Amino acid sequence: MAQPTSSALRALALEYKSLQEEPVEGFRVKLVNEDNMFEWEVAIFGPPDTLYQGGYFKAHMKFPPDYPYSPPSIRFMTKVWHPNVYENGDLCISILHPPVDDPQSGELPCERWNPTQNVRTILLSVISLLNEPNTYSPANVDASVMYRRWRDSKGKDKEYENIIRKQAQAAKTEAEKEGIVVPLTLEDYCIKTRARPAEQQLDMTDFYDDEYELDDDEDDQLSASDYEDGDDSGNGES
Amino acid sequence: MENKPSQQKPAENTEVNQDELILQQQRRIEKEISESIALVGEKEPLQSLEREYLEDEVYLSKAKTLGQKYSYIRRTRPDGNCFFRAFSYAYLERLIDIKDEFEKFRELALKSKDNLVSLGFPEFTVEDFHDTFMEVIDKVGAGTEASRLELHKLFNEQGYSDYVVVYLRLIASGQLQREADFYQHFIEGDRTVTEFCHQEVEPMYKESDHIHIIAMSAALGTGVQVRYMDRGAGTEATAHDFPEGVPPAVHLLYRPGHYDILYP
Repeated sequence: MAQPTSSALRALALEYKSLQEEPVEGFRVKLVNEDNMFEWEVAIFGPPDTLYQGGYFKAHMKFPPDYPYSPPSIRFMTKVWHPNVYENGDLCISILHPPVDDPQSGELPCERWNPTQNVRTILLSVISLLNEPNTYSPANVDASVMYRRWRDSKGKDKEYENIIRKQAQAAKTEAEKEGIVVPLTLEDYCIKTRARPAEQQLDMTDFYDDEYELDDDEDDQLSASDYEDGDDSGNGES
Repeated sequence: MENKPSQQKPAENTEVNQDELILQQQRRIEKEISESIALVGEKEPLQSLEREYLEDEVYLSKAKTLGQKYSYIRRTRPDGNCFFRAFSYAYLERLIDIKDEFEKFRELALKSKDNLVSLGFPEFTVEDFHDTFMEVIDKVGAGTEASRLELHKLFNEQGYSDYVVVYLRLIASGQLQREADFYQHFIEGDRTVTEFCHQEVEPMYKESDHIHIIAMSAALGTGVQVRYMDRGAGTEATAHDFPEGVPPAVHLLYRPGHYDILYP
């Protein structure tokens, strides 16, 4: 297998640092194992005023050695009943697919992976997919059928809703065992997930100095201020 | 898209994953082959091209006529990025010697980031690619013999080389999208320009066609001459200038599926 390239390591270190300094609303990321930059644990808080309210879902993100040229994959570790999540937890979302041209898939081609996509844009797509499943290419056909019944009956057919709420509730109980308080109001959701202190922040200088030979001036460029913000971080739930 | 009974669901699951696995494996094999070839090779006398075709009359005669116009060839790795890699290497190499053209290009490159962000590319990542791109450009700016070596070294370091390719792909995509009304006519099928860019221009390893070259040369204001060497009639590799009428700053050799650099 190909060695992870210095580009992959560099891109991931950069993104990881940015996400610690300025997290995406409703998400927390950390490394599954501190020595491995290529596997992240993502915790997702269910957005308030949605079926997922109160839920706390864990997923693993795996990055290929040629990231960011190829997309990572995401697998939910928490049970998630959703049209675009396979039974084993694998998430099927177009932004994580290489841009092959197959009209069969029913996915909009404009959402495919390209090297400027990043964890931030992925997470925003995930949160919007939770609320608006793609029923054209379902990974879980039963969930898809059930979801459409719920949607088309304007919420009268509650089977889908009940399953989601039950899962969110179960996930919340799990979270409480871990001592995590899930934000329930929009205000808490935004503030809490934003102004997180950087307690267990990794010392990224290690990555810069040891792991690759690229520029020494990288660290100066990492001030949080100049990242894109505002325009899409409120996506979906505002 | 009717409600379908779900009895074949497990089969579907494995099928999807299987397909992806096969694709992955195929990509890996292709990668291994291409990785045995340098990203950008050394300058070789054009005779080395003739030697490839001693058994092949059509190609041999074309290689020979090419030898009357060009002295050297520089090969690039056939990984689908060869046009962008060959183009940028050849152009930067030229700029080592031409100070005022370099300054003009640097200015353009500097501004290009904001153009891309305004087209909706995520700033965080575009900035990273742009920084690396500028770093490479500035190494060339010194205009010394050392810049030549540095350029060659950077273009053979995957981290730098591929970042330059990504960034050029973004610039080409930006150009196509900005002039979408015009480029729409060149796109086959019912894809929009934006869709085309997402599928054929922005992703790594996607091969380049006329439209990529036109967009690239228009975006940077750089003339490119491509010599097409194939089984077509005649004893000469046909020349094609992009854009038409502009004196070429970069010369490339095209053989089906691949671009290398030529030197007059």
